[in-house]
Amino acid sequence: MRIGAWAETAAISAAALLSSLALFGVFVALRGLDPLEVYATLFHGAFGTRFSLEHTLTQSAPLMLTALCTALPARAGLLVIGGEGALVIGGVMTVLVGVSLAGAPAPLAIAAMCAAGALGGGLWVGAAGALRHWRGVNETISTLLLNYIAIAVMNHLVTGPIRDFAQVLKPASWPIGPAFMIGEMPGTSIHWGLAFGVAACLGTWVLMRHTTFGFAVDILGGNARAARMAGLPIGVLILVTSILGGAAAGLAGAIEIIAVHGFASASLAVGYGYTGILVAFLARQNPLAVIVVAILLGGISASGGLLQRRFGLPDAATLVLQGLLFVAVLAANTLAGRFRIFRPRTA
Amino acid sequence: MELGWWGVLIAVAGGAARVSVPYLFVSLGETLTERSGRVNLGLEGTLVLGAMSGYGIAYLSGSPWLGVLVAGSVGAGLGLVHGLVCNLPRVNDIAVGIALFLLGTGLAFYLGKPFIQPVAPRLPHLELGAWSASPPVRAALEINALFVAGALLAPLLGWALFNTRWGLIVRTVGDNADAARALGYSVGWIRAASTTAGGFLAGVGGSFLSLYYPGTWNEGLSSGQGLMAIALVIFARWSPLRCFWVSLLFGGATALGPALQSVGITAHYYLLNAAPYVLTLTLLIWSSSPRHLLVGAPSELTISR
Amino acid sequence: MSGRENEGRHGFPGPPRARGGWGGHIGAPPPNVEVVGMTKRFGDLAALDAVSLRLRPGTFHAILGENGAGKSTLVKCLMGYHRADAGRVLVDGTERVISNPRHAHELGLGMVYQHFTLVPSMTGAENLILGADDLPAIVRWDAVRARLEAFQARIPFAIDFDRPVSTLAAGEKQKLEILKQLFLGRRVIILDEPTTVLTPDEADQILGVMREMTRAGRLTAVIITHKLREVLAFADEVTVLRAGRRVGGGPVRELSRAELVHMMIGAARMPEPAPPTAPRRPAPALELHELTASNDKGLTAVRGVSLRVHGGEIVGVAGVSGNGQRELVEVLAGQREPDSGQIRIAGEGYGRTRAEMRRRGVFVLMEEPLRNACVRGMSVAENLAFRNFDEPPNARGGWLVSRRALRTQARALIERFRIRASGPDAPLETLSGGNVQRTVLARELSGDVAVLVAQNPCAGLDIAATAEIRSRIAGVRNAGAAVLLISEDLDELLELADRIVVMFEGRLVYETSRAQADLHTIGHYMASH
Repeated sequence: MRIGAWAETAAISAAALLSSLALFGVFVALRGLDPLEVYATLFHGAFGTRFSLEHTLTQSAPLMLTALCTALPARAGLLVIGGEGALVIGGVMTVLVGVSLAGAPAPLAIAAMCAAGALGGGLWVGAAGALRHWRGVNETISTLLLNYIAIAVMNHLVTGPIRDFAQVLKPASWPIGPAFMIGEMPGTSIHWGLAFGVAACLGTWVLMRHTTFGFAVDILGGNARAARMAGLPIGVLILVTSILGGAAAGLAGAIEIIAVHGFASASLAVGYGYTGILVAFLARQNPLAVIVVAILLGGISASGGLLQRRFGLPDAATLVLQGLLFVAVLAANTLAGRFRIFRPRTA
Repeated sequence: MELGWWGVLIAVAGGAARVSVPYLFVSLGETLTERSGRVNLGLEGTLVLGAMSGYGIAYLSGSPWLGVLVAGSVGAGLGLVHGLVCNLPRVNDIAVGIALFLLGTGLAFYLGKPFIQPVAPRLPHLELGAWSASPPVRAALEINALFVAGALLAPLLGWALFNTRWGLIVRTVGDNADAARALGYSVGWIRAASTTAGGFLAGVGGSFLSLYYPGTWNEGLSSGQGLMAIALVIFARWSPLRCFWVSLLFGGATALGPALQSVGITAHYYLLNAAPYVLTLTLLIWSSSPRHLLVGAPSELTISR
Repeated sequence: MSGRENEGRHGFPGPPRARGGWGGHIGAPPPNVEVVGMTKRFGDLAALDAVSLRLRPGTFHAILGENGAGKSTLVKCLMGYHRADAGRVLVDGTERVISNPRHAHELGLGMVYQHFTLVPSMTGAENLILGADDLPAIVRWDAVRARLEAFQARIPFAIDFDRPVSTLAAGEKQKLEILKQLFLGRRVIILDEPTTVLTPDEADQILGVMREMTRAGRLTAVIITHKLREVLAFADEVTVLRAGRRVGGGPVRELSRAELVHMMIGAARMPEPAPPTAPRRPAPALELHELTASNDKGLTAVRGVSLRVHGGEIVGVAGVSGNGQRELVEVLAGQREPDSGQIRIAGEGYGRTRAEMRRRGVFVLMEEPLRNACVRGMSVAENLAFRNFDEPPNARGGWLVSRRALRTQARALIERFRIRASGPDAPLETLSGGNVQRTVLARELSGDVAVLVAQNPCAGLDIAATAEIRSRIAGVRNAGAAVLLISEDLDELLELADRIVVMFEGRLVYETSRAQADLHTIGHYMASH
């Protein structure tokens, strides 16, 4: 049965991926390009060389974490799309802590920055979860609004209170300084964020699959009325899943700061949060599948530049492919449970 | 400058009439869709794609009105996709909306690259302020035809929902799908039709952004207006006429930042830009209750459960 | 289901038709309707097996049978909701293919469903004209109102057509449904279990009016029922179904009550509930004190309910559906927050937390288990563990769930409660409705039950399953538990309950012991205080 369910999920997701690739092929064909050549380039740009693979894995790290921001609350029945905002707030918190800890021992500061990022993101999405439970506010709309508010807050900070006037090209915050940057994993050009992402997914999987907390969350997500009837602490479950989800996205923001940028700026909000939603849905909210899907979509993002150089496709081409994929995944959901071969025979 | 705080007020009022148009069209479209029992969260994407396609067509054809029409049709197309995908069993309309939000935005950026530089013809406006010698007053009273169309459409839609055959049918489908089936109506197709019509209106709203105010096409053109318009529908309790008033309120809130900037107050510019989002969230919190369902919500709506 | 999905024209209704139109042509005589050899299978189950039925114009016809006998299936096939596998329909001697409710409507057949198909937010007037085949593109309400007034002058019920349906009481809704059928010119009106939501007095009034109209030759009335009283008091003719077959029927005056009972339940005998073996305990186990709660719309639904249930007794709550019973059960089950008042168990405040549920041994059998008490996508084993997944041996160290232990527990319960499933890992959604109910029963009754709240526990089940559940509930009582049984079925309460209270508009308005219970007095209180 477990294997059957896995096979079904994989088959449905694969069908969605293939059909959206086919649609995307029509799109590029309309530009007079050969779809097969574009597919080949796409693959090459994502997984073809060691360099592209490393780039893909680097891209996938924040996606794993932002995907958890949707996948974890989704297990409790919430549709949270606040990964982008939580990432931005996490990044801003990281910078604030990093700057104020200047001169502290690096390991301590890095731990504090990660904690601050996770805390910021966790409280950000946790607020939406609390509003949902105690005020009945629709969490999808509130988290989307919080995304815009988070970006506005960041813009306000980096253009004023924490602006680094040494940077003239674009508004940016003070840097945390090279001492607090984490490097790359030995022997690779992939930063440590990937390890954080994989660890978070594995941890979430254990939590959801093997603990009483995960079991309770699954009851809540499956039927809130049944969960209430079983006396489960609904508010706590909603709050904890949304805080954990937000913390994952906030950690992604922290990693963007300590591993990539070193300061906060508009380049924090480049859509990792939104792609993360797609990752979560394509993985059907399963934390282990998130790892695989994040790498897949990281590959699509990573090859965007190559598509642009080789074919003159706008970089938004990958956004189109992701959008098509998202629609296809949801439409394919209708197939779930329809295949006899994946079901045990009923007595 | 010489008008001082009066200038701010006039700029906010004039800005409200201008800025409210996208809110108005999107919220009217969403009201229609939600009255049929579906939520289309993808209207933000529809708005952006409408803005881009309207601008592109206006530039290529030289006719801004053709741009508006095409923008509406493109919006209707996205709405139709939403409607058809949601007609499949076990498909969540909110999630599909998010997907179309991303797809619409992606398509707009993908297809819109060539139109960032060129200048398309703008939609005309009525000079209601010709009597005044004051330029700010004249600017505030430049009323666009789409504003007038939206202001007429709101009461018309409100009337139609209660006094026409299709209005009654849409409300039936949104309030009791079983009853609609018992009457022999096809729930899925009526919802798809309502979502398509809603998408058309949102597309038209998008064309206003690119063809009148602010009147250019770029990737940062809409920042959540489509989304806020959807939240606005909840606050307007699914009444088209209330959508009109609330849109004006939101327009005013959005116009506040630029209006203050115009009189030289530039501090907290970004925070003021967040005002509409904060306002939306506040109103949303205020209209919701953990104890009972949203007041006036169509019973079949997923967000009201 | 798929038949319903595919039916109908795609989109909006077509242009107005020349025929009839709304306004109710009460003069036209009803048609002669004959059903010959109707057969319908759902999977392996033959829901209907070559059933024939004749509806003579101007008669009051009853279709009698137990739950699951095929009554609803028969009329749904006739109305075009289900596509029959075999059988013919003759209207005035001409064979007709009815593949869609609209075809049936065009032939003058109308049906009032058990779950009302009125649109709650719309007014009565809007609901009435909604079904018209020639609903105009623009509705001129002054003209509609004039027709409604003319119509109301000829009909026996008075209803305020301007009120939203959601504000009408169940009896008024039922009347409005019937009016809608009359207004739309339907001459054969089928009522599916019309009296389950009515008090006995309301039922008598509505059925009485229907009978008068059939006597006057203005329509043919068909009621689907399992209540003998209604058949004997109102019907001219009866058709009795059992397990999908027609087992008898004819003019009601030629049949005795005993004959009808025999036809309806055949050889099956209703077992008597086990008499209490444990005496009623002196101290109350469950106490409600001035409990008040609101419904989903924020309106007060439960008003100051105070009640005591002792160990070893079953207290039955009677009442017409929609008088606050659902909200009361939801409060007790922990699904709804009360506005005020207290719940006490064994003398102490009960906060409905998981710890208290466990310590106090509180269990709940709610109606519609798939909606209220289960998760479709989780396995049978998981659903069986909702109450104890966090206790050893299911949870190791208090936080690690052992799937193996869950399966072991499930296998034992599947065996003991005879749940038909392919195994502990089968998703609950693959089980039949009866087996879902058994799963919940197994979970709620296998623990140490001190207090049991049961709400319409036998709704929709066949006679054997009903008997089994009732005897299990009696068994729980006999083991010393306090049982609060909320039921819309008076017969069930009279069979099981030691005391009966009546709930009306959120209040408890009457109490009686079973020994002194009188159907008519209870019915009177169900209608008013």
